[in-house]
Amino acid sequence: MSLLDLSRWQFAITVMFHMTFPAITVGLSIFLSVVYGLYWRTGRAVYLQMFRFWRRIFAVGFAIGVVAGAVITFQMGLNWGVYGAKTGPIIGPIIGMEVVTAFFVEAGFIGVLLYGDGRVRRGTMFVSTVMVSVGTVLSSTWIIAANSWMQTPAGFKVVHGQFEPTDWMRVIFNPSFIWRWPHMLAAVLISASFFVAGISAWYLVKGRAKGFARRSMSIALGIAALLMPVQLYLGDSVAGHELPRQLSKLEAIEGNWDNGDTGFVLFSVSDQQAARNIAELDIPCLGSYIAKDLTCKTAMPGLKLTPAAERPDMAATFWGFRVMFLAAVLMFGTAFAATVLRMRNRLWTARRFHRFVLWTTPVGILAILGGWVTAEAGRQPWIVFGQLRTSAAVSRLAPGEVLFSVIGFSVLYLIMLVAYVVYIVRTMRIGPERDDPGRQPPPGNLPDTGAAKDGVPRELPVPLGSRKVAAR
Amino acid sequence: MTTTLWSATVLVCLLMYVVLDGYDLGVGVATLFERDPAHRRHMLESVAVGWDGNETWLILLGVALWAGFPLAFGTLLPHAYLPMTVLLFSLIVRGVSVEMASQAPPAPRWTAAFGVASLLASFAQGFTLGTLTSAVHLRGDVYTGSAFGAFSWFCVLSGLAVTAAYTALGYAYTKHKSSGLLRESAARRGAIATAVAGVLLVIVLVTVDTTAAPLNLDSPGRAFAFAVLLLFAAGGAATSLVTFPWKRQSGAADTLPLGGLVIATVSVFLALGVARYPVLVPPGLTVDGAVGPHPTMVFILVGIGLNMPLVLAYNVFAHRAFAGKLDAAGVHS
Repeated sequence: MSLLDLSRWQFAITVMFHMTFPAITVGLSIFLSVVYGLYWRTGRAVYLQMFRFWRRIFAVGFAIGVVAGAVITFQMGLNWGVYGAKTGPIIGPIIGMEVVTAFFVEAGFIGVLLYGDGRVRRGTMFVSTVMVSVGTVLSSTWIIAANSWMQTPAGFKVVHGQFEPTDWMRVIFNPSFIWRWPHMLAAVLISASFFVAGISAWYLVKGRAKGFARRSMSIALGIAALLMPVQLYLGDSVAGHELPRQLSKLEAIEGNWDNGDTGFVLFSVSDQQAARNIAELDIPCLGSYIAKDLTCKTAMPGLKLTPAAERPDMAATFWGFRVMFLAAVLMFGTAFAATVLRMRNRLWTARRFHRFVLWTTPVGILAILGGWVTAEAGRQPWIVFGQLRTSAAVSRLAPGEVLFSVIGFSVLYLIMLVAYVVYIVRTMRIGPERDDPGRQPPPGNLPDTGAAKDGVPRELPVPLGSRKVAAR
Repeated sequence: MTTTLWSATVLVCLLMYVVLDGYDLGVGVATLFERDPAHRRHMLESVAVGWDGNETWLILLGVALWAGFPLAFGTLLPHAYLPMTVLLFSLIVRGVSVEMASQAPPAPRWTAAFGVASLLASFAQGFTLGTLTSAVHLRGDVYTGSAFGAFSWFCVLSGLAVTAAYTALGYAYTKHKSSGLLRESAARRGAIATAVAGVLLVIVLVTVDTTAAPLNLDSPGRAFAFAVLLLFAAGGAATSLVTFPWKRQSGAADTLPLGGLVIATVSVFLALGVARYPVLVPPGLTVDGAVGPHPTMVFILVGIGLNMPLVLAYNVFAHRAFAGKLDAAGVHS
């Protein structure tokens, strides 16, 4: 494996691990704002219970997302130093804006969101929660602007090999950003919805905390039902607006080497060297239908149109897209079924549906990861499409150094992922019952070490070192 | 002009980071010396509310360097690849363990991981700073050094000095935030840490001239500023040494050790900055040689520069929301 391959694997591992967490927490932070707002307005205990329970899941996921995200910023210099030096004048300021308008906003208010419950006024609590979600949304905005510029660079000139901005409006609102941004935003909202719905479904299957579970699932599946059709439209628009500028990506997504296929390749095993598919399963005419031609005459372009040295890896691009697309179809179907059940007033009695929804918990996250694989693998061999090759952008490090970091990050991330899943399962088992404000014992007689008393797991009574801000 | 302004911004990020994450990491190191689980827990909780904001300064520091001085970003980081990688490993473990321990107590193993990762992160940071004194190998504008080429005994010394200084800051913060037995032990150990950090720092300053990046004190103005800043540093450190052992509950006894150390830390970094400016990448690449194109500098000075007051306001808000002491029972007073 070459230095380039190692650095690419390292980036793929770190960025996919990172993305798993925003896929949960961006939507969850908005969900938390909504339920706390409902609690503030209605005063109903179930909303506070929802807020407290989902906050536990959010807190650790947010922390992992933050530390894993920090890694990526530095990787741009560590492993991709040439990229860092050449694109710094354009990508650097965009990420800088992300830091000051998003990271610091999140960091400033996350403390109150996590530890302020009962210490600060409800209004302060609500505003802090909203600010955190504003931060997460702004963060995804800037990061999509930066990545979209790498897909469809605009508003720049190249001076001595370095990219210089000539028009910031065109840099930020580059051609693919306009569509990829709402597409990504809808994606994180949907993935969080399925995450929330899945965990809620577990309580319905178990017959526990029904009021809490029904309300959580109702909101989550409601949002999914509203957003899924929008998302299918947005996804189609991204394809329509970005792919004409990245034909090589489109060809790899479609999975054909030669022109002329009017079908849709559902499954294929491709041989990149020989430029052919060893095996494939083709649905006739579907490709043409997707391209909005019902006469079955519109054919898909093949990857051989692109010179061999500029072809992306077909398998990664093809399968990334299939994972995203099939997951989207599954989610659309689930949201549709939920709406039908709801209209028939059977949503809370359909036991088999609850069991099914439980299994869809990670589907949204998988769809997002698949989408990113399509976007990034499909852009290859370019790091800035058509301008800078990935092979020219990598730092000239000793392979041993990179191997050390690849192994280190992989091991650490695996441990963190397992720890988070274990934490979620534990939190689910303990359940939202302890978060019911009506059932909480008074804080005075609780041990401060947080140890279990009477076998009931519990948390610290009050956040240490906090002061009643409301009193000031 | 834009170059100078942006150099100042990068310096502000560095100072904010070493002070804020300095106490934060230092509290983590200090938990390793604490036997009582309840004390360890209080110390962990005292940084749980703020570590995210403190660490964000490191990201802003990195990005400020990237946006304003892309050439320095793209060559200094590969130069310090291994210590930076260890630093990132430790920050990952630290951030996750603090949240795990805080959300699902008592979690003794996560608390232990928090301490060890804090120690590693502090040392790796000092080590990374040490690599800035060795020549960065470039061909054209591209880094071409070897894996261990940046390493020297000076890096180890710098790692130890930074760890000791952070630990002292951590104890000062703990004394500021605690009462009772924890406050007493923090005061005792804080004084020791301050003394150790002071001695190590003197060795650093004496030996830095033997490295590839000696101090530049040729002009009288530089030498004067350098001397004055070191005097400030000595004053700050002396204040902390004297006030750390003060036992009586008073505002001064709890804030002066922290204040003194903050002044000392800031002064030392400013002094090193004065003696090094304008070299960014040793031996020869200066801020002017690494600076980004004009439209970029205008954009970041307006976009990021104008946001700095807001950013500082968020930091103040976050720290004030959790101001005050934790008492022996762990309840705020």
